[in-house]
Amino acid sequence: MDIPSLVSIVDDDESVRESLPDLLREFGFAAQAFASAEEFLASDYVGQTKCLILDIAMPGMSGPDLQRELAHRRQAIPIVFITAHADESVRPHLLGQGAVECLLKPFSDTALLGALNAAFREG
Amino acid sequence: MENDLTLVVDALPGLVWTTLADGRIDFFNQRWYQYTGLGVDEAFGAGWQAAIHPEDLPKLLECWRSPLASDEPCDMEVRLRRYDGTYRWYRFRTSPLADASGQTVTLCGVGLDIEDRRRTERALRASEDHYRAIVDGIPALVSLWTPTGELDSGNRHYLEYFGETIEELRRWGKADTFHPDDRPHAFAAIRQAVETGDPFDFEGRRRRADGVYRWFHMRGSPLRDTDGPIVLWHILHTDIDDRKRDEALFAGEKRLLEMVAAGRPMSEILEALCQLVEGTAGGCHCAVVLADPGGTRLEYGAAPSLPASFIASIVGRPIDIESDPCATAMHLNERVVAADLASEPRWATDTWLPLALAHGLRACWSTPIVSTTSKILGAIAIYYDEPRAPTSLHQSLIDQFTNIASIAIERAQGDAALKLSEARKAAILDSALDCIVTIDHEGRITEFNPAAERTFGYRRDEVVGQRLADVIIPPSLREKHRLGFARYLAMGESRMIGSRIELTALRADGTEFPVELAITRIPLDGPPSFTGYLRDITQRKQAEEGLRRSEAFLAETRRLSSTGGFSKRVATGEITWSEEVYRIFELDPAIPLTLERILTRVHPDDIHSFHEILERQRRGADYEHEYRLLMPNQSVKYLHVVAHANRDQDGQVDYIAAVQDVTQRRLSEQALAKARSELAHVARVTTLGALTASIAHEVNQPLSGIVTNASTCLRMLAADPPNVDGARETARRTIRDGNRASEVVTRLRALFAKKEPTTETVNLNEATREVIALSLSELQRSQVILRQELAGDLPSVTGDRVQLQQVILNLLLNAADAMSDVHDRPRELLIRTERDQHDRVRLTVRDAGSGFEPQGVQKLFDAFYTTKRGGMGIGLSVSRSIIESHHGRLWAALNDGPGASFAFSIPRRSEGVIGAHSLGAIWTSAVTDIQQAVRNL
Repeated sequence: MDIPSLVSIVDDDESVRESLPDLLREFGFAAQAFASAEEFLASDYVGQTKCLILDIAMPGMSGPDLQRELAHRRQAIPIVFITAHADESVRPHLLGQGAVECLLKPFSDTALLGALNAAFREG
Repeated sequence: MENDLTLVVDALPGLVWTTLADGRIDFFNQRWYQYTGLGVDEAFGAGWQAAIHPEDLPKLLECWRSPLASDEPCDMEVRLRRYDGTYRWYRFRTSPLADASGQTVTLCGVGLDIEDRRRTERALRASEDHYRAIVDGIPALVSLWTPTGELDSGNRHYLEYFGETIEELRRWGKADTFHPDDRPHAFAAIRQAVETGDPFDFEGRRRRADGVYRWFHMRGSPLRDTDGPIVLWHILHTDIDDRKRDEALFAGEKRLLEMVAAGRPMSEILEALCQLVEGTAGGCHCAVVLADPGGTRLEYGAAPSLPASFIASIVGRPIDIESDPCATAMHLNERVVAADLASEPRWATDTWLPLALAHGLRACWSTPIVSTTSKILGAIAIYYDEPRAPTSLHQSLIDQFTNIASIAIERAQGDAALKLSEARKAAILDSALDCIVTIDHEGRITEFNPAAERTFGYRRDEVVGQRLADVIIPPSLREKHRLGFARYLAMGESRMIGSRIELTALRADGTEFPVELAITRIPLDGPPSFTGYLRDITQRKQAEEGLRRSEAFLAETRRLSSTGGFSKRVATGEITWSEEVYRIFELDPAIPLTLERILTRVHPDDIHSFHEILERQRRGADYEHEYRLLMPNQSVKYLHVVAHANRDQDGQVDYIAAVQDVTQRRLSEQALAKARSELAHVARVTTLGALTASIAHEVNQPLSGIVTNASTCLRMLAADPPNVDGARETARRTIRDGNRASEVVTRLRALFAKKEPTTETVNLNEATREVIALSLSELQRSQVILRQELAGDLPSVTGDRVQLQQVILNLLLNAADAMSDVHDRPRELLIRTERDQHDRVRLTVRDAGSGFEPQGVQKLFDAFYTTKRGGMGIGLSVSRSIIESHHGRLWAALNDGPGASFAFSIPRRSEGVIGAHSLGAIWTSAVTDIQQAVRNL
């Protein structure tokens, strides 16, 4: 049996951290949720993470900040941004910075699965 | 011749006879025969002897024989029988008759009747015996002196007293029997009496047989012959020793009491007492010991003739039965006699007995000294060097001494207490702040204390003896004072006595001033005297005047501020209201105030809290309370009560409270609160431009959870086998997120309603002041010190006043928040308005808080950026959008010192506020959409 790939979630919103891991497990992934970028960076899961689902607006280090930090650390983890901020203008910018996808909350399970598939294809 | 001779012989009044040499009588004259009744025949020879008393005959015959032998005459008295058989005394005298040759041949005898003389002599002798018996029977010493003052004889008592015979006494003379101290004046008295022959009397001590001198009163009277010359002195000696001792005792007592009265030290008095005892009792040592103040130990009193080493051993001993005889006497409160210490079983366990014996003491009599109140003060001890028991005389003497000692000690102690009390009184008098003046029954000053000297400007010695009225009472009041004083003396009553009155008094310099006077009568016997306490009340009068003014002022202030006062005694429920309270309650002051009456005014909604306050009053706590009144015309009054509880010395609680009618204030506040909420409301509305994104974010978050959970739920149910538990959990989370979204919507909905922004002329200073007024309480709560520098010549601007005020409020509250963690310096906040360049107006808010990261300055104004926990991070972005809508600029800068400054600058005139009017419409539709979305969920 294959070891499930780890998908990490970084979001300050608790309802996301509660709901998303279950859905990811239904998809067949392993999942870990973190309330902040700092918490994720401090954890042991950075190296194992095959895909990162990352909120954009968070207190402290924001999603894009973390993206830059990981690039700086040469941690090439495919990133799927998620945001409740209904601003279409940020999406092209983020995709231009190397993000796999940018999903606007609320997003459907198929949209998420599509983004994950794209991410693993990339990876 | 012979016949002639016979005739002569016979004529003689006596008996004549002649006797022959052989003793025979050869001749009797005629009287002989007649007297004896014997015949010639019977008489001749020895026959005459029958007439001589048989007892006398032998002596007579003997006597007669001797003249014959010696030629000496014989002279003797014999009893001769008369013819009738009775004997009479005769004196027989015989003389020898010699013949020519010188030979005694015959005796010639003559007999004379001496019967009458002998009878007189006998009577005299009997009388003398009688006299002597009488004299001897006199219970006094009687002596007889010769006219020259020499001792002649003395009666039995006299001889017994001296224990000598009269001959010895005559030999010794008077000198030895008089006390040496008394000889000079005794001899002088005797000498003068002998010279003048006048009766005399004097007192002196005479030595008794046992060597003891006793006092006698000697009275001498001359006994004169009928011709006048003194034949002898008879001297009566009356024993006055007891009287003398009593006199000495009395004098001693008097001396002691004088010492007491003169306030001599007690030790000196007791010493004198001991000396009096020793002088009176003689041959003894006397000591006085005292009980210490606690009554448990012996203290030294006096012992002038006892060695210090002995007395020192007594002092400090406990007053019990075995310490020493004095302690025993005091302990038992009875006389303790140790007649012979050598055989004394008591006090042997302690060291006293051996010590006493070592000091040569052999007897000790101790008597307790008891006060008039039956308190044991001490004991008198009398010691003798030889064994001795007290006689009844001694005992009565000791009782007398004890009594004196009791008086002396009690008086000395009382005197000491009195002295202390006097000293205290003097100290009080001297240090009293009040003037104390005492006057006698004539109204003359007897005492004038230093305070009185200071106050009235007189020296004590100037005024003592003068009438009080003439010294300190102004002339206008003197008559009144005199009358009152006279009435008191006459009637024994006065309104002044015991009460305090205020009157005008006079100083030495003539100035008048108000005094308070209290007069008390000094409770002593004798003519009445009084103490007057006077106090200068000038300052109090001034204070009272000031108080009266300030009370009037307070009353006026209360009336103006609608503040009333009330007091309440909790225990009795007694309530006193000020006029203003009646006015506030609109109750008639004439009708008695009751709780029921008050309750008729209390607003029905506040009755409960009013009763809670009544309960609190019973606990005696301070309180502050607001409640409403519902007036008969249905208007509502708001009352604010601040009550302070005071406890008196009995623990009774009295409340003093201020009541203020705060209706106007409350109504203003309500209006203000309304205005404030409107402002806040408008502010929220005006933030909508920036809030659009925020609202979407807030709503999208739960929506995201909902969608994800719903998806997961479906997938779990679609699995084979279905994960029902997981699905149930995700469904539960879906519902929760749905509720959360609903809450967000509700919150957002409350944020806004329709309110169109306006464009008007705004005085920024005025707008700022209004904001400050609104936020002042918040700033004070945050301990912020607000400083205002509002430019006086600030031009007005065109814009939306409420929106601008929202910005100012936002900046103020941000500044206050920024300083919430500042504890090491003042939380100083400066708000400044000023003209800016290019016809602009600038407002700056400067705090002393923690500032911000210099590189993050741009982020400050981003929506959703916040450094505050729980904040949404929209304030500054909203503010910036408002300012920008006014064609202005909002910026932040770090201070040189701690903290940051936020400022905006707007043009004086603008072409109207842009964009703002569309915000409300945007929000309205957004919320509607969300609500729809949530419903759809």
